[in-house]
This record gives sequence, C-alpha cells and structure tokens, in this order.
Amino acid sequence: MPSPSTPRRPMHARVLVLLAMRNLRRHMRRTVLTASAMIVGGALLIFTFAVADGSHEQWIDSGVRLGEGHVTIERPEFRVSRRIEDRLPAEVRRAAEAAFASPEIAPRVVATTAKLAVTGLASSAAGARPAQIAAVDPTAEAGFSPIDDRLIEGRYLAPDDRLAAYVGAELVDSLDLRLGSRFVVQAQDAEREIAGQLLRVVGIFRTGVPEVDQTLVHIPLATADEWLGSAGDVTNVGVVLDTSAATAGVAARVESALDGPISRGDARVLGWREANPALAAAVAIDDFGNYLTQGFIFTIIAFGIVNTVLMSVLHRRREFGVLRALGLTPGQTGTIVLIEGLTLTAASGFIGVGLGLAITWHFFGDGLDISALMDEMTFSGVVIEPIIQPLMRTARLVQVLLFILFIGAAASVYPALRAARLDVTEAMKFDR
Amino acid sequence: MTDTETAAVRTDGVWKIFHQEAEEVQAVRDVSLTVGRGEFTALAGPSGSGKTTLLNLIGGLTRPSEGRVEVAGRDVTAMSNRDVAQLRLDQVGFVFQAYNLLPVLTALENAEFPMLLQGVPADERRARVRELFGRTGMTGLEDRRPGKLSGGQQQRVAVVRAVASRPALVLADEPTANLDSAASAALLDVMADLNRELGVTFVFATHDARVMERSRRLVRMVDGRIDSDETRT
Ligand SMILES: Nc1ncnc2c1ncn2[C@@H]1O[C@H](COP(=O)(O)OP(=O)(O)O)[C@@H](O)[C@H]1O
Ligand SMILES: [Mg+2]
Repeated sequence: MPSPSTPRRPMHARVLVLLAMRNLRRHMRRTVLTASAMIVGGALLIFTFAVADGSHEQWIDSGVRLGEGHVTIERPEFRVSRRIEDRLPAEVRRAAEAAFASPEIAPRVVATTAKLAVTGLASSAAGARPAQIAAVDPTAEAGFSPIDDRLIEGRYLAPDDRLAAYVGAELVDSLDLRLGSRFVVQAQDAEREIAGQLLRVVGIFRTGVPEVDQTLVHIPLATADEWLGSAGDVTNVGVVLDTSAATAGVAARVESALDGPISRGDARVLGWREANPALAAAVAIDDFGNYLTQGFIFTIIAFGIVNTVLMSVLHRRREFGVLRALGLTPGQTGTIVLIEGLTLTAASGFIGVGLGLAITWHFFGDGLDISALMDEMTFSGVVIEPIIQPLMRTARLVQVLLFILFIGAAASVYPALRAARLDVTEAMKFDR
Repeated sequence: MTDTETAAVRTDGVWKIFHQEAEEVQAVRDVSLTVGRGEFTALAGPSGSGKTTLLNLIGGLTRPSEGRVEVAGRDVTAMSNRDVAQLRLDQVGFVFQAYNLLPVLTALENAEFPMLLQGVPADERRARVRELFGRTGMTGLEDRRPGKLSGGQQQRVAVVRAVASRPALVLADEPTANLDSAASAALLDVMADLNRELGVTFVFATHDARVMERSRRLVRMVDGRIDSDETRT
C-alpha cells in the first residue's frame, strides 16, 4: 500500500543544470549579447572601485598624517577643549606606546607620533593671529607627517633645536615674517596662566590646505616643556597603519590595553573616522556616488538579463508544459530558469571581474595619473595626490561578487516566477 | 492489495467546469470511468467533447470541480500539488499531439529524462531505452536532437519516454494528429506492440478513425459525457 504522501526523491540538480546550460547555448547570440554587457559592467565595476578605494586610501593616509594618525589616544575632553590641562597622563602615554609595540599591532605600524597640540595666539609687530601649535619630537614627526616635505624655505625642525618654529606660509605672510624672523606665541600653560614664548622661523611650508597653512606651527617638544610646564607630557599619541582597513582592529586592541585609564576617564581611543569626520564624510560621499552610478548601470544590465531570460521563458512555454507533465513541480521548473539567469549573470559577471582586475593592474598597477584631470586639489584638510594607486581589498571583491550574484538572482526571479506559474493545460493546448 | 490488482485509473462522478467571463463551460460532466491494467483504450469524440480535459484530470494537470480521480489506487484529488507531480513522474506517461521533446536534449536523453528524475541508475536507464528504441525502430537515432527527427520519429521517442519509466498508464492526447497516415500507422503499431508485449496501459484521446479501429475498448464522449463504452474482442 503506497503511503499517502511519498517523500519526494532528492531532485537531481545536475539534470536541471544540464537543461539550463543547454538552453543558454541554444540561444548563443542572445546569451553572448547579454553576457558581454555583464562582462563590461563587471570590469567597469572593478576598475571603478579599485581606483576609488585606492584614492580614498591616499586621502585617508594623507589626512591622518596631517592629523593624529589612523588611531589616536587622547583625553576625552581634549577634542573640544584643546587645552593643555587635558593632556594625557604620562602612564597612559607609556601604556599606549607599549600597545603600539606589542606583537599584535607592531607589524601594522608604519609610524607613530606623540605631540602636544594647543590652540594659541601668534603675534609679531604686524599683528596677532590664532595658531594651532604642535609641539613634536622632530625626528619622529618627520617620519609621521608629510608636512616636513612641504617645505618651501629653510628647513624642518632638528632634534637639538630650541626656539625654532616651522610655520605655515600664509601665517608667515599675515604676520609679515620671513626666514629667521622672531615672533611670539601665547597659550595657557599647565598652571592655567597665559604664558608667552619667543620663537624664530627656521622653516616655512605650504600644504595647499588653507586651514593648515594659515594656522599651523610646529615647535620642538622640549621648547613646549619649558614654555608651558608640561613636563614632557603630550596631548595625543597616534599611529599610522599600513592600511586604513586595520583601524578598527588596532583601535580595539589599544582600547583593551588601556582598559583602566579609559574606565577612569583618563583616555579615549579614536579611529580616523571619529578623529576626522570631515574626511570620513568625504570618503562616504564619494563611495555613495559610486554606488549610485554602479547601481544605475547594473539596473540597466539587470533589465537586459530580465529581457533575455524572460524571452527564453515565453518562447519555451510548451517545453515547460512538457516538463510539468513529466512530473516536475512548479518550483523545479522555476529553478531551471533561475539557474539559467544566475549562471548567465554569474559566469559573465565573474569573467568581467577577472578582466577588470587584469586590466586595472596591467595598465595602472604602477599608478593611474590623473594630474591632467585636475589642478592641485585639496579638501577636508587633505591634499589629493595626482597618481592613484588602485586598491582591491578582499572585502570589496567579495562585495562585488555578491552584488553580481544578487543582480543575477533579482533579474531571474520574475522570469522564474512566470515559468513556475505556467498553466500546463494552457501551454499544451493545440489549435484545432 | 498489490499494484496489479488495482485499476490503472478510476474516476468517480468527475466534473470539470470552466468559468469564462460570465459563461460556464461544463467540459467534463459526471464521468465515471475505470481503466484496468493492460488496457488499450481510446476516448473518441468530436472536437470540444472533453477528451483532453478528461486526460488532464486523470494526469493531475487539472483538478476536478467535483468527483474523485484515482491513479494506481491513489486518490489524486486529495493530494498536494507536489505529490501529484511525484505521482505523475512515477505512474503517468504523457504523449501530446506534438512538441513532446525537449529540443536541447538528444533522442536518448529525452527518453531517459523521467528516469533521470526518478534516480534510475545510468546503466539501467540505457538498457531500458536501448531495448525500447529497438522495439520502436529508433536504433541508430539515439544521438539526434528532435529537430533532426521526423514527426513520426519524435512521437516514437515520446512514447518510449512515456513507457520507459514504467508508469501505471500512458495518456496520449491525439498522438497521431500531426502525422501522415504511414507515420500514424507505424506509431500505432509501436504502441500496440508495447501494449501487447509489455502490458503497458494506454489511454488515447483521438478523433482519428484509424486509432479507434485499433483500440480494444472505445469510449465515446459527447458534450463532456460518456456516450458509449464498448469493449471489442
Ligand atoms: N482552460 C479552459 N477554459 C475554458 N474552457 C475550456 C478550457 N479548456 C477547455 N475548455 C472547453 O472545454 C470543452 C472541452 O475541451 P477539450 O477537453 O479540449 O475537448 P477535446 O479535447 O475533446 O477537443 C471545450 O468547449 C473547450 O472550449
Ligand atoms: Mg483535445
């Protein structure tokens, strides 16, 4: 006696795949046409993101080097107050630097910085201007910041400098200074008294970023100690990493190393996105623009796929009718269509991705020169480099591949539903 | 109760009513019909008399408006769509008027397709198809695509496909309607042989006098009803 509901035998996926493949081959012209759109789209997608991610990485690198690194440690109040009394306790600095040197983090570290940054006033006989004064270890900072390379006159700070200042070109102009000139900086000291310090211009720089060139002054840390009574303390300890993608991981490790000070409110760890929200926004907006463009391109491609797959469904109503009469379920006939659409999309999309990677790295592996497209450009405190090094992260590649699969699935769903909903008796009707 | 004791098909007071706009079409009216194993039965009747609809009801492609359909002792009416599909795969072979074959598969692949779905091992599949191709004069044409076969050859492949999976019955809806008389006669010979020698149960819908002549039981339909039912010896 047969049981009332026989469990369905495992469907031979191979059979469905075989049918789908043969059907794709049957309409070679249509298949090739749709596939080539997808191949070009996939290649373009890879190229776009490789160039975008590469330039973002450069923006970020340049931005964090002008600032406090991919990951920086400071007192919670400092970001707003920028006052010396909100500097880091010496033991927090030591713990942070120990964390940077730990075997988990050290391999990622390109450069570190420890600086005392305060807001003050720079004045000369010509007048007074607000200034961002960064007291640095000259040798370490030269390796950390690109600012020493932006020299236009004189030299960067040297280790045994005392009253030396490295000053932005526009600040130099507005205070009517020149190389060798003396000027005075004033800021609140560790005792909350206003203290003045005489400095001499040893170097002048221009980054091209107005807000930097108008305000920034680098002085030796030792000079700041005497001037402000800060006893060697700093306001920030920061680290530049080999890739911005390591930011979150390193920040988390540093946070756990600084567990105690953080819970006491003596320190906080910031990733570059928090420390430099304008830069983060610039990257996000640029990404969004690319997502929008690519979304638009792939919507058009998806319609091409829908059209190809749907045509083949509508032309094969009788075949689907036969399959159902043979014992396939609606779901299985729909699956054949889904496999066709997905295979067409995935195969051509992945070929496109491969092609995109090959082309991007073959022709632009040494950098894509976009200097013809722009004058020197800056924004968000970042100088845009004219040579873009393309970059493809695994996460991005996975995202692109998943996106292509998603497009394939999305474009095949409607045709698959049409096939699944087929009325067999209608499909098998013959004109009498 | 073994399979061979149950009827291949039993319908009991089956109605099929289509609603077309405001109109109601009673395509099948109160049909009670039993087809035993090994029968070679023709459903005859003019165009529009409900033959196709009745075959579709038996094969579970359409659900009856009323009544009950049993195939190989199992109540099709009570089954889920999934189970009906499985029942079709295992117990029912279909042969339509034309375009029965999947154009992307060879004759051999078409013929073994249901067995592939049933999970019949490859050598068993090949053996059955080879044997049936031999009986139906199709030997040597195994690797041809349907487009490279004549109409009569295509229908023979469809018959082989329907028979090879060992169903309780084969439903053939106007199988000869698209064939010339020689090809029709050849196809009928093939089916009669399979019926006689292998005991395959066939139910045809036809208005082809030659098919009616060859049948051993002739059920005539008029306006969706069974008008007469005669068995010849
Ligand atoms: N899907 C349907 N919708 C409406 N009417 C239908 C449908 N299928 C069949 N009919 C009608 O049912 C009647 C029987 O049709 P059919 O079973 O195809 O007859 P036959 O196969 O004997 O020519 C005809 O009047 C036909 O128009
Ligand atoms: Mg008919």
